[in-house]
Amino acid sequence: MSRSPTWLQILSRSSAALLGGYAFSYAATACLARLLPLSPGDAVIVATLPTFIFYTLAILWAFASRDALRAWAPLAVAAPLALVGFWPQALEWLA
Amino acid sequence: MMLLIAGGALFAYAGMLGLCQGLERHYKPVWRRECPAALGRLLRGAGWLALLASLWLCAQAWGWAMGPVAWFAMISLAGLLLVMLLPYWPRLAVGLVAALPLWGLLQWIS
Amino acid sequence: MKNTFTQSMAWLHTWAGLIFGWLLFAIFVTGTLAVFDKELNHWMQAEIPATPVSQAAAAQRAIAYLQAHEPQAGNWGVSLPTERSPGLRVSTGDRRHGGGVQLDPGTGEAIAVRDSVGGNFFFRFHFTLDLPRNWGIFVVGALALVMLAALVTGIVIHKKIFKEFFTFRPNKGQRSWLDFHNASAVLLLPFHLMITYTGLVIFMLIYIPAGVDALFAGDNRAYFQAQGNSRLEQPRGLSKQPAEMVDVAPLLAQAEARLGPIAGFNIRNPNTAGARIEIRPELGNRIALSKGQAMVFDGVSGQLLSDVSEWRAAPLTQRVMVGLHFAQFGGYPMRWLYFVCGVISCVMIASGLVLFCVKRGRKYAAAEVPGHRWYRLAEVCNVGFVAGLLLACVGLLWASRLLPVELAGREAWEVRAFFGLWLLALLHAGIRPPRRAWVEQLGSAALLCIGLVAFGGLEDALRLGVAACALVLGVLLGLVAWRVQYAQPAVRNVKAGRRVEAGA
Repeated sequence: MSRSPTWLQILSRSSAALLGGYAFSYAATACLARLLPLSPGDAVIVATLPTFIFYTLAILWAFASRDALRAWAPLAVAAPLALVGFWPQALEWLA
Repeated sequence: MMLLIAGGALFAYAGMLGLCQGLERHYKPVWRRECPAALGRLLRGAGWLALLASLWLCAQAWGWAMGPVAWFAMISLAGLLLVMLLPYWPRLAVGLVAALPLWGLLQWIS
Repeated sequence: MKNTFTQSMAWLHTWAGLIFGWLLFAIFVTGTLAVFDKELNHWMQAEIPATPVSQAAAAQRAIAYLQAHEPQAGNWGVSLPTERSPGLRVSTGDRRHGGGVQLDPGTGEAIAVRDSVGGNFFFRFHFTLDLPRNWGIFVVGALALVMLAALVTGIVIHKKIFKEFFTFRPNKGQRSWLDFHNASAVLLLPFHLMITYTGLVIFMLIYIPAGVDALFAGDNRAYFQAQGNSRLEQPRGLSKQPAEMVDVAPLLAQAEARLGPIAGFNIRNPNTAGARIEIRPELGNRIALSKGQAMVFDGVSGQLLSDVSEWRAAPLTQRVMVGLHFAQFGGYPMRWLYFVCGVISCVMIASGLVLFCVKRGRKYAAAEVPGHRWYRLAEVCNVGFVAGLLLACVGLLWASRLLPVELAGREAWEVRAFFGLWLLALLHAGIRPPRRAWVEQLGSAALLCIGLVAFGGLEDALRLGVAACALVLGVLLGLVAWRVQYAQPAVRNVKAGRRVEAGA
């Protein structure tokens, strides 16, 4: 268990759940939308339908993780996922 | 349609009753004796069959798209009704299943 | 968060359940009431007659009225009498909400109907908490996500979920509350999971627009066009030339044969060569929500210009999920199933809230104990947000009948009555001892529910249904109040070394 005060732990984990969870779900959805072999209109729907499962998992993770820092792991995972989802925009930005 | 729906509800109740009474934990308080293993299996088997019958009747009433939706609601509500009745009026809880043959009669004459 | 996974999940379930449970209860109650929103609309506006009239006749009278009063308007809207909504309404301009004139479907004459928020208030409150629409949608969405987390954590921590599937042991105090909370949650788990997830799916693209951002550069219009929702070409020039319109009755019949029962129609550019008649089906002819679908006919020739298209698999899946939440399908028997499941889900949430206090009552009830203030706050919120909300809901129905019909801003006053009662209930809960507060509020709500029959209008099947259902719910609330008043606190058998079960 961590040495930081309880209220800070709760605040950190709640933020990780809310914000980290959002980032993770958003990125996972974008990644899925990009990768699914469907027409763009259909891909958007099929990628977004499971998004709340990702979000719920991230929330559970935020409170189950061993310490408050690890709770933010979904935010870290969101970065490469977003890269996959937005790679055309990323390439444009680099060019 | 209403007769089919009533049948779906009754079979849902009977199904949950079978699954429930097929368990030692719930059989004993009602009948005051141990449940023989064969009877337990019979009750549970009958319970599953009744649930399937309920699904079929719901599908007859609403079609196979809407029917399963209604079926889930019915087995859930039937289960809850059973669980609420059992500790207070165990004989009534079990006795309600007698409505099923009555329904069968109504269905046969209509 | 805690030492083991299960303990962490139990902590999350308890605290998220408590803090957000009060508002979640309000969302579930108003959602359950919204199942019968049209029936409540009809009950709250007593002036609307309920005599059966064919849609064709009603349509012709509506058009005659519009011809007489608004022949130059750019758009006529007609809401036809349906099974759940026997009134006839005409409007000009955009259809969205309110406005328009109520007609007697039998005579085609305008009738004066009191302004009322109707059962629609519960529908809107359900997904916005009466906040400005976009804010409200996000707040409720966040709450729905918490509900999902609460359901999943609840499953995870319920180690004996199969063993105790049929277990309910009454008259044992805390044990009974937990048993009931578990039973109502587990037995109706398909419903709880379905209703929560589908609720989130409705506005999923507003919450997580990642797909549109990634594949359409955030351009919503491009996304909608990709769905095949191209609008029909508007006949610019033709809408200037006057022309005689075709009789709408055969078109209604044709649409009904194709779509099932009809809800209403619009006539764009009436009395011109560019007239278009858009006929909408009643929601609920299939599970998939058919909002926005219409058959479009040429208003002069009667030719079908645009038929409803079949959805592809992905949009169909989304519409089916949305439709499962909207619960417009399956007729009255299905509607009642949804209603009863909704009531149980409300009771499930309330039992969790009560369980929180029952569990900690012995430890924190005494005033000198540290943490007593927080416990007391939880107790007050329980009464105010559960019993108080029920009081406010039935109070709204009373206000819709008691407020003077001619009152200016009547709708705003009805809403004030709702929130005013709710606030009073919270204050009442703060000053009364907890058990008395429960009894008094539940008892009052019971009396108000039962009393709805006093408003009469019961020759009408819809209004009779509302009053009868309220009567049953009132009796049940009364029984609960009676039980709370006379329940003896359970005697706990404390065996040496025996640990108290489950939970945080």
